[in-house]
Amino acid sequence: MNFIKNLQGLDRRYVFVFIAVAIIMPLIFPFNSLTYTTTPVENLYQLIDSYSPYVRADDLNGDGIISEEEAIAFKQDRAIFMDFFHDASTMPELFPMEVAVMRHCIYRRVPFFTFTIMEVAAPIIEEAISVVTDEIQKTGRVIERGKDYINIGYKPPALYLPILLGMGDDIAAAVETDTDGNRIENLPMYRDTAIRNYTQMNLVYETSGSDQGLSWMIYARSRFGVNVGVGLTAVMAADQYPYLQSGQCVGMTAGLKGAAEYENLVDMFAMNNLTFSKGQLDNPTEAMMANLDITSDTVPTKFKMARLGMNAQSVAHILIIVFIILGNIGYFLEKKKQNKNL
Amino acid sequence: MTLIGEIIAVFLTLAIFSFLYKDNPAYRFAEYLIVGVTVGYGLPLVYKNAFQPFVLQRIFVEHKFIFLIPVFFGILFWFRFSRNYGWLSRYPIAISMGMVGAGVTMSMNSMVLVQVRQAMIPLETFNIFLIFLGTITVMFYFFFSKAHTGLYGKFSRIGIWYMMIGFGASFGYTVMARISLLIGRLQFLADTFKGWIA
Repeated sequence: MNFIKNLQGLDRRYVFVFIAVAIIMPLIFPFNSLTYTTTPVENLYQLIDSYSPYVRADDLNGDGIISEEEAIAFKQDRAIFMDFFHDASTMPELFPMEVAVMRHCIYRRVPFFTFTIMEVAAPIIEEAISVVTDEIQKTGRVIERGKDYINIGYKPPALYLPILLGMGDDIAAAVETDTDGNRIENLPMYRDTAIRNYTQMNLVYETSGSDQGLSWMIYARSRFGVNVGVGLTAVMAADQYPYLQSGQCVGMTAGLKGAAEYENLVDMFAMNNLTFSKGQLDNPTEAMMANLDITSDTVPTKFKMARLGMNAQSVAHILIIVFIILGNIGYFLEKKKQNKNL
Repeated sequence: MTLIGEIIAVFLTLAIFSFLYKDNPAYRFAEYLIVGVTVGYGLPLVYKNAFQPFVLQRIFVEHKFIFLIPVFFGILFWFRFSRNYGWLSRYPIAISMGMVGAGVTMSMNSMVLVQVRQAMIPLETFNIFLIFLGTITVMFYFFFSKAHTGLYGKFSRIGIWYMMIGFGASFGYTVMARISLLIGRLQFLADTFKGWIA
């Protein structure tokens, strides 16, 4: 009993040490734990997947499967737009989900734009692109800047609204140049495709540690009907549910958990070049399960950061719950003793 | 080069964590450094991506003198530092506020009208019923023209419970977010040390 009472006066620095150890151990000795996917994450994944030429292209040879050649030959008329609205302070939560969405796009040949109005987010975009493309190019696939994706990069915040509304007509006129100074209309992803405005670029995926995604819902969705998906830090997730419930937000990846869920879906379906299906999600094949083993080297560590982190998260949460229970027992024992002394 | 970068990053991470023990010069050094680096990185980027293409390029190369108008209003912001002419900075602020005002009608649609519409759907499932009950009882709680007593008080009490659950969910998410940030840094430290040992 004295031990529990003494916890009341425990120096908080001991708590920090306990938490640090609880987090470090699962990171050094990783283990597999179940990650259940939630509907908002599945919806976002399915929408991006529906833009894939592996889903949209014509089956020219009639074998029932869209081959790589057929997918490449398909004149792409869908793309997604990724808006990065955060600095390095929220990277542990948001970076894994940005990497996972980019991986999904590249595996499934969905073109994407990257954009930010925060100057400190510009290098984060470059880092995410290089993490994804460097690793996938090791498999022999060539990923070309301007063809597979366009990095618009940093644009001044004063232009946010004009760009946001201008992209309803023509993205090349609204943003003019990419981060390297190339004119958008000269880049193959614009020049050789049918991608022009929100009609084709019908999903904006906005990652932030704030409610910045609301701007897209207020302006782009209200006026042009564009689908908006958000990637948020866990702190902001609760505020977003009303917009999910009303259908203004089509999907959401919330915190490290959301990122881990998206990583799971990419490894199960996109890595195996499969289209998402609920049936296969519940009854995965051996090939799908092999990619989920985070203790093996099947998937590079860079692509399972959120799942590795979620193991540490789970252990830390258990420890916090134990501390809360012990603290409350100590509090009530102390209160009981005080009442007796009265 | 990578090794030097890693050593600096590890040192700065540990310097920031050292605050958990107590305030110290290493922590303050890292704190000031991040402010300096952020500003130092941001200024040339803003110059390259905003000032050069939208001021220098437009006015001096393309001779689009219409851009002098926003430049003029932009300069007025600097009068904020003057005691005598500080009032001039209110004009660009007023223009900015006007732009915010332009979004009010669209905000009304997304943040009010669509939300209200979604709150008035048939109570077909238990979840929708829970949302309906929560909406009504929380609104009861925030209606202060009637004393919260009797049956009315009981309903508003349910509203308080709804809000408490909402705050609890937000707090739970906040704990998760803060732990995630710690995980990110410890993941970096663990991977870096593993790399050094290997």
